[in-house]
Amino acid sequence: MRSTRTMAAGVALIAAVAALTAGCGSGGGSAAADGKKVYALLPQGNDQPYGTEYLKAMKAQAKEDGIDLTITNSQYDADKQASDCQVAVAAKPALIILWPAVADTVRPCLERAKAANIPVTITNSDVKEQDKSLTAGYSGPDTYGQGAASAEIMCELAGGKPTNILEIEGLTGNTTAINRKAGFDETIAKNCPNVKILASQPGDWNKDDSQTVTSEMLTAAGAKNVQGIYAADDTMVAGAIDALQARGVDPEPLLITSIGNTKLGNPLVVNGELDGTVFQSSAWDGEHAVILANDVLEGKEIGDDQFMPSVKVTAENATDPSVAPNW
Amino acid sequence: MTNPQSLNLGDAPATTKAHRLRNVLRRRTEGRAVALLAVVAVAALVLEPLVFSAYPVTLSRVALVGLVALGLTVVILMGELDLSVASTVVLAGVVMAQMPNIPLGILAALATGVLVGLVNAFFVVKVGINSFIATLGMLFVLKGLAVVISNSKPIPLDNITFAIKFGLPLVGALTPRILIFALAFVLLHLFLTRARAGREAFAVGGNRQAARDAGIPVDRRLVTGFVMCGVIAAGAGAIDTLERTAADPTAGSTVLLSSFAAAIIGGVALTGGRGSVLGTLIGALSLGTLEVALTLTGVQVDIQQIFIGGVLLLAVMTDPASLRAAGSSIRTFVQGLRARSTNRELTPPNTSAP
Repeated sequence: MRSTRTMAAGVALIAAVAALTAGCGSGGGSAAADGKKVYALLPQGNDQPYGTEYLKAMKAQAKEDGIDLTITNSQYDADKQASDCQVAVAAKPALIILWPAVADTVRPCLERAKAANIPVTITNSDVKEQDKSLTAGYSGPDTYGQGAASAEIMCELAGGKPTNILEIEGLTGNTTAINRKAGFDETIAKNCPNVKILASQPGDWNKDDSQTVTSEMLTAAGAKNVQGIYAADDTMVAGAIDALQARGVDPEPLLITSIGNTKLGNPLVVNGELDGTVFQSSAWDGEHAVILANDVLEGKEIGDDQFMPSVKVTAENATDPSVAPNW
Repeated sequence: MTNPQSLNLGDAPATTKAHRLRNVLRRRTEGRAVALLAVVAVAALVLEPLVFSAYPVTLSRVALVGLVALGLTVVILMGELDLSVASTVVLAGVVMAQMPNIPLGILAALATGVLVGLVNAFFVVKVGINSFIATLGMLFVLKGLAVVISNSKPIPLDNITFAIKFGLPLVGALTPRILIFALAFVLLHLFLTRARAGREAFAVGGNRQAARDAGIPVDRRLVTGFVMCGVIAAGAGAIDTLERTAADPTAGSTVLLSSFAAAIIGGVALTGGRGSVLGTLIGALSLGTLEVALTLTGVQVDIQQIFIGGVLLLAVMTDPASLRAAGSSIRTFVQGLRARSTNRELTPPNTSAP
């Protein structure tokens, strides 16, 4: 009686998993047609708005260049990405596109690929200086430059007057977050020492956390002592603006800058709540990752880092078609 | 044979043998994991043979998830949970990177694991907080500590050359991570099956009051369990840190759920008392193989999560206990139907009577 039941369970399990794997077989089985097999090791994908647009542009460009792309998503877990990298090297593709989850941890991956004679191009956030020699090139935003550009907008807005601001950083430990913070902080210190960063907290790239930490910092510093806010991206700046409004503080007179010019941030610039942001195009990013990979595969000469232009978006040009947000 | 008596005597041992075998099989909890592993292995063999030809890659993915899951198994067997394992992995790595050299770093990492285990055990055993809540608290505390100690930045190890070597094969195609994982499995298996303290873990998880009444030092066993779990998680943290050449305060975000998944798929009952590290090993093998196969075939991580979630649900649903419960409820339902229909058959004469 009992054994038949266990057997039934086993059969049910096998049938279910077989159904699952059959679905996978029809969905994911695309064989390399012309040998241009490329693995893209990304830390995000359709789970984030940026990744969603990035993937679309990446896949479209790969189709155009006849590249058979296999994409992984490590969800910013460096260990998972390291393992994905091992899997990719074992699959012996023509090239690996790497978007480092954590730049400090990609050395073993680069060494492995090198040992297997697989070139690696870097997208979105660059590797450390000492690892650059192991890569075939970089394309993506100039994350330090973006922080600096946002700081320049802030300096211009402050116009030499003493200004106290709050800073909302990206996800702790993340390379983009570290570089943007460095770019912003250093440019502020150099160009306009009159702007003082009263407090700085990570908003982890999301609106809710940003709203919470802004609210906390406003309490700690005293809302009336704060004349400005910088957030490392538009999503977080939207949270910060919500925090201001929740306290009955009008965001209009405050100097607020961020980075992104997203579908969320651009309208905020248009309606005046956000004073300035820096355009980061996820479509450019995904597209150029594949363009660079294809150039390397075709043996073209690769020059310096291929930086996405850090275009400043303020009330003056926010409705311009050239800075129409794409994510 | 002609004598019915001797026939009985000849027959009896045979039935006992079959009976015993059936008993052994019935007591095993790994059945579902074995079935799943077989399915995954066959599917991978057909769809992506690279999973096997590149077996060191598959094994290191298994070890990545499996090592933490092995330690977790001891705690789950005792009927407790440890949600702080992933944070222990991270904190141990960060502490390790603070030390001037790697041997000292590894010792410091393991000491962190012992300390975390002791604190967890203190809250559960002495203060009497439910282990889910106590270790949930520790999850946040340790994660926060890791961020504070590391100043929220990845800390590269001083001796990167050694760290990179650590990620390379040591024996044949096997990296130190895989070898340590295998060793941990053997030691834990021996501990749980041969050592008295280990065997008593099942009693602690099965029926705590009975275990106390039988004179088992329940509290001390619980402390042992939490410390073992902490040390193994810390060891995994040290290995991770070496393999990625840097401590990362945000690492391990996927470890917690997949290590629990490995144990559950392996037939370890969350209520305690039932399961084995062998099951966890098989669970980790099937989960790791599934992940590598899906990654190789280019299945997006969101779809992978649907697979893993589906497998997890199947594993829980096909748990003998829940199957038995479902079976008996169906039986009662059918009996109810039958009773009603017999009632109806009986009713005509009854109704015609008055």
